[in-house]
Amino acid sequence: MADTKNNTHNSQDVHITSYKEHFGIWLGLIILTIMTVTVSVFGADIQTMTVLTALVIASTKALIVAFYFMHLKYDPRIYQIMIGIVLLLFIVFAVLTLVDYVDRV
Amino acid sequence: MSEPFVLQNSGHNRDDAASKMGMWLFLFTELLLFGGLFLVYMIYRYLNPEDFFNASLDLNVLIGTINTIVLLTSSMTVAMSITATQKGDKKKALWLLWITIIAALIFMVNKYFEWTMKFDHGLFPGMDHYNHLPHGERLFYFLYFMMTGLHALHVIVGGIFIFFVIRYIQKGKVNSSRYMLQENAGLYWHLVDLIWIYLFPLFYLIK
Repeated sequence: MADTKNNTHNSQDVHITSYKEHFGIWLGLIILTIMTVTVSVFGADIQTMTVLTALVIASTKALIVAFYFMHLKYDPRIYQIMIGIVLLLFIVFAVLTLVDYVDRV
Repeated sequence: MSEPFVLQNSGHNRDDAASKMGMWLFLFTELLLFGGLFLVYMIYRYLNPEDFFNASLDLNVLIGTINTIVLLTSSMTVAMSITATQKGDKKKALWLLWITIIAALIFMVNKYFEWTMKFDHGLFPGMDHYNHLPHGERLFYFLYFMMTGLHALHVIVGGIFIFFVIRYIQKGKVNSSRYMLQENAGLYWHLVDLIWIYLFPLFYLIK
């Protein structure tokens, strides 16, 4: 990255996502939604499976939204690093809180 | 006497990168706000698995699925509207943003019907039926109203934000060489979508 572009008119050489790409992303998200509903409605007897699959599918959708719709894929790496730190912070909170409950007999 | 200090470029300061980073920092506070609530949900669920299972059966999966699709679609239209602005297609950008606002309204109308059905069954905290439910089911409904309510508030705020962007595009203040406001509104709207992506399976789907 050239230093001269750092300050003011930095919306010049941006990546413009095409309409087609946005539509493709949308299609993928809808398919994942239908998948997760199907697993829930027809696979309700396999309890732990549905909890895990629902969360895995939700996280996949969240990543797709973040990387494509929120443009993270084309943004400077610093955003990914910052988000990583925030997620790590949340995981630390969650683990520290849950340890108590899981440890009780 | 020396000359008074005048900042060069004053009155025309603009920093797109900082603007975007500021928005992301705000979004982080939102993530931690909902993150805390998700943590509460995890613990309540861990302590009352049976009651959470029973209570979740009463939620309408169809309305939830429709609202998920509505929000995902609105996320696409807001992302597309940024593409339109970047390409200088003002008209397309405007109607894509209007579709986003209409989607927000559809979401809220669905929410209204969903909540009034719950009110009719006396399931809002403090109502008669609610007071006689088992402890865990009360916690479930308490969290349900708290979290989907807070999320609905964000849908309203996001809709207003996008409406302001529409006004700015009409006035020409947001255009193909200056559209950070629109991008930030988009980021906020995607966050609203992102939170719903987790709320939907946690309340409606996990059995």
